[in-house]
Amino acid sequence: MSTSATTFVPDAIPVNESHHGHHEPNFFHKYIWSLDHKMIGLQYMWTSFFFLLIGGLLAMGIRFQLAYPGMAVPLIGALLPSTVAIDGVILPGGYNMLFTMHATVMVFLVVMPLLIGGFGNYLIPLKIGAGDMAFPTLNAMSYWLYVVSGLIILASFFVDGGAAQSGWTAYAPLSSTAAYNNNTQIGQSLWCVGLFVNGLSSIAGATNYITTIVNMRAPGMTMFRLPLSVWSLFLTSWLLILAVPVLSAAAAMLFTDLNFGTTFFAAQGGQPLLWQHLFWFFGHPEVYIMILPAMGLVSEILPVFARKPIFGYKAMVWAMVAIGFLGFIVWGHHMFVSGMNLTLGAAFSVSTMIIAVPSAIKTFNWMGTVWRGSIVFTTPMLFALAFVSMFVIGGLSGIFMASTPVDLFVHNSYFIVAHIHYVLFGGSLFGAFAAIYFWYPKMFGRMMNETLGKIHFFATFIFFNLTFFPMHNLGLGGMMRRIADPTVYEHLRALQPINIFVSWASFGMGLATIIFLWNFIYSLRHGKKAGNNPWNATTLEWTVPSPPGHGNFETTPTVYNGPYEYSVPGMEKDYLPQNEKAPEGARLEVH
Amino acid sequence: MSIVHRILFLVLALLLAGTPEVAAEPRVANIYWAPEAATTGAKKVDTLLNFIFYLTAAVFVLTQSVYIYYLVKYRRRPGRKAYYSHGNNKLEIIWTAIPTAIFLGLVIYSNRLWSELHSTPPDDAVKVDVVSYQFGWDFRYAGADGQLGKMDVHGYSVDNKFGLVEGDAAGQDDFSATELVIPVGRATHIYLHSRDVIHSFYVPEFRLYQAAVPGRTIAWVWFEPTRTGNFELACSQICGSGHYNMKAPIRVVSAEEFAKWQEGKIKAKAEEAATAAATETVEKNLTAAVRP
Repeated sequence: MSTSATTFVPDAIPVNESHHGHHEPNFFHKYIWSLDHKMIGLQYMWTSFFFLLIGGLLAMGIRFQLAYPGMAVPLIGALLPSTVAIDGVILPGGYNMLFTMHATVMVFLVVMPLLIGGFGNYLIPLKIGAGDMAFPTLNAMSYWLYVVSGLIILASFFVDGGAAQSGWTAYAPLSSTAAYNNNTQIGQSLWCVGLFVNGLSSIAGATNYITTIVNMRAPGMTMFRLPLSVWSLFLTSWLLILAVPVLSAAAAMLFTDLNFGTTFFAAQGGQPLLWQHLFWFFGHPEVYIMILPAMGLVSEILPVFARKPIFGYKAMVWAMVAIGFLGFIVWGHHMFVSGMNLTLGAAFSVSTMIIAVPSAIKTFNWMGTVWRGSIVFTTPMLFALAFVSMFVIGGLSGIFMASTPVDLFVHNSYFIVAHIHYVLFGGSLFGAFAAIYFWYPKMFGRMMNETLGKIHFFATFIFFNLTFFPMHNLGLGGMMRRIADPTVYEHLRALQPINIFVSWASFGMGLATIIFLWNFIYSLRHGKKAGNNPWNATTLEWTVPSPPGHGNFETTPTVYNGPYEYSVPGMEKDYLPQNEKAPEGARLEVH
Repeated sequence: MSIVHRILFLVLALLLAGTPEVAAEPRVANIYWAPEAATTGAKKVDTLLNFIFYLTAAVFVLTQSVYIYYLVKYRRRPGRKAYYSHGNNKLEIIWTAIPTAIFLGLVIYSNRLWSELHSTPPDDAVKVDVVSYQFGWDFRYAGADGQLGKMDVHGYSVDNKFGLVEGDAAGQDDFSATELVIPVGRATHIYLHSRDVIHSFYVPEFRLYQAAVPGRTIAWVWFEPTRTGNFELACSQICGSGHYNMKAPIRVVSAEEFAKWQEGKIKAKAEEAATAAATETVEKNLTAAVRP
């Protein structure tokens, strides 16, 4: 394995001198059309922060409306487009637009680009000992396609009829027939085009990652010496390549239904449930596309601050492989009560329960990692530790929906809203925050402020739980998701105090994010200098300067060890970098 | 530090600003859990729901206590070195096998109940055609013959809101309603339809959600109410700008009251038909009289 890793290196990109870093590139080539994987990673990150603000503001709008339906939105109400609100009062169709675009923005323009585009680009070459990605130009194109898709999706707010308002799941024939859907033909069409372009970006990126990881590992970097973050991004890339084209095809079909009179998803001449099958065939792997990278990043951070090897490295890898595989045969669990054949539902229920097993395995291994460690509670560690707990809640609440009869009750209620946010915010975004605090020193050469970081952590952790935990209760209480005004229902009026409480908690969470952004920007200039390896970590990116130069490594590193050799007995220091031979007397465990 | 304090204060102030309102609302019993179940099926779903709740709660408390205990016990202290271990295969097998067994048990329990809830409805079930549309509900009951008339899922029109097949005798005496009135202690079998987009039949007290798909008949939903009362039927599938308000009343009444209501409706329908027939006769006669 170790020799095969070096057999193929594309001619165009010699490992250490990719596109020749000796002369300083001009502004355009450094910041705009950069071919350096690190700059592209940062471009992804900055852009996803921008969309995080947009998506967050949309969420605040949703929460305001649910707490105070019929009241004018204070401060920014007058600025809202007339398709969303009149005199600041959010319209029912405008409300539908808010949650449709909140989810679309968060899924496609924040979580995926941040975790996969941002960390994937930045970390993969550094962690495998390569000078850059296999296809730097494709990489830059992938980023710019993402920007274009984001602009298309944002622009849809300002077209005739406004943005799409059929939910991010865009169930047909509501989405495919403009007359049924408040005449949002242009908005819904732009949604299709936006996702199509976004899909191209994802597919290009995934192709690049797979090629890079397979072909450009440094000598000695066998597959089972890869850090788990690289494994997670490798598997995620496969999921992207297999799942995203299905969404792209479905979006194209929806587009022709909307604009050219085809009837793929119409009740007559087509099949509404076809859309759901296509969407969820993409949509369920998509959930894992968003959580696997976070799992990988967290698996990287826990050993560093527990000063212990990751518990069960191979079990972690195989669990991710199992999740990736099973992720493709569980999509029907979104459709138990959709009108799909009942026996089919029962079958999907089996695969869904099975896919919970590898997630459980990962959780136990994370707990095993902190067991008998020497734990330092830095901000990245706090976020990583919280990730595990929040993922446990999100995983356990998923069992309710996996059980078909209980899904009869909680389907499309606030219970599922709570569940997805525990997985996507408590999971993916907590993982992303952990990763940002952890790799920031590598990216910018300075540390983020620890006090502000801890305030951000505790505020986010507390407000997150105050926001999303009561949603379980709302769901059990019978509150449907995606309704603009819960107070029109007798049985929901009594629950309104919970809605108001949740909304205020969510505003608190919004404010906590401002602390984070402030810390991020402030530390760029004023943070403590980081040095090469501020956390005493073992993987290759910590052996080069912070930030690393163009081409990453002075000479191609040779890898001798696995990625998590912490506290090896018989060693002076408590970590053994991957590119250092174990000193005399070190008792490495062969596993 | 002062900026930190100020931020902390602001965050707390915002949280507290929300709480007085919560306290000011009249306390309603049971707002943190599901409303009382109202059908036989709902009670069975509740048993499973509670089982899963206790199971997951136990797993959560157990794992999190161990986790937090580890975090406290193994925090960095001077002189302590972490234990060097790459894992333990025996443990991996144990914590793969136990969840697998639990999940398989759960899926067997779930799927048995799933089949039971969707078993063949009893013969004496009240049959109701439930038609959803943007943004409301129509209900059609069988007339005196006890037979719902045939319908065509593509046959909806402005004049034919139930898509009835022309010339089908069974459909002649069917009557319609804008509320779902059903008897307690007897099954109701619904045929779920949609005239436009996907909607869903959702009644939290019945623990029941079922999507209505245009172009299809969903014929497997039935339930048996266990108590009388007024409930609200809600659409719980985003269906357009009026989705949030797409509801209809459900009245679960005693058998006698239901019989009376049904009788009244059948009579009204017969009278309506008679009037229509009479009008037609008069018109025919008039036409005949006018004819030279």
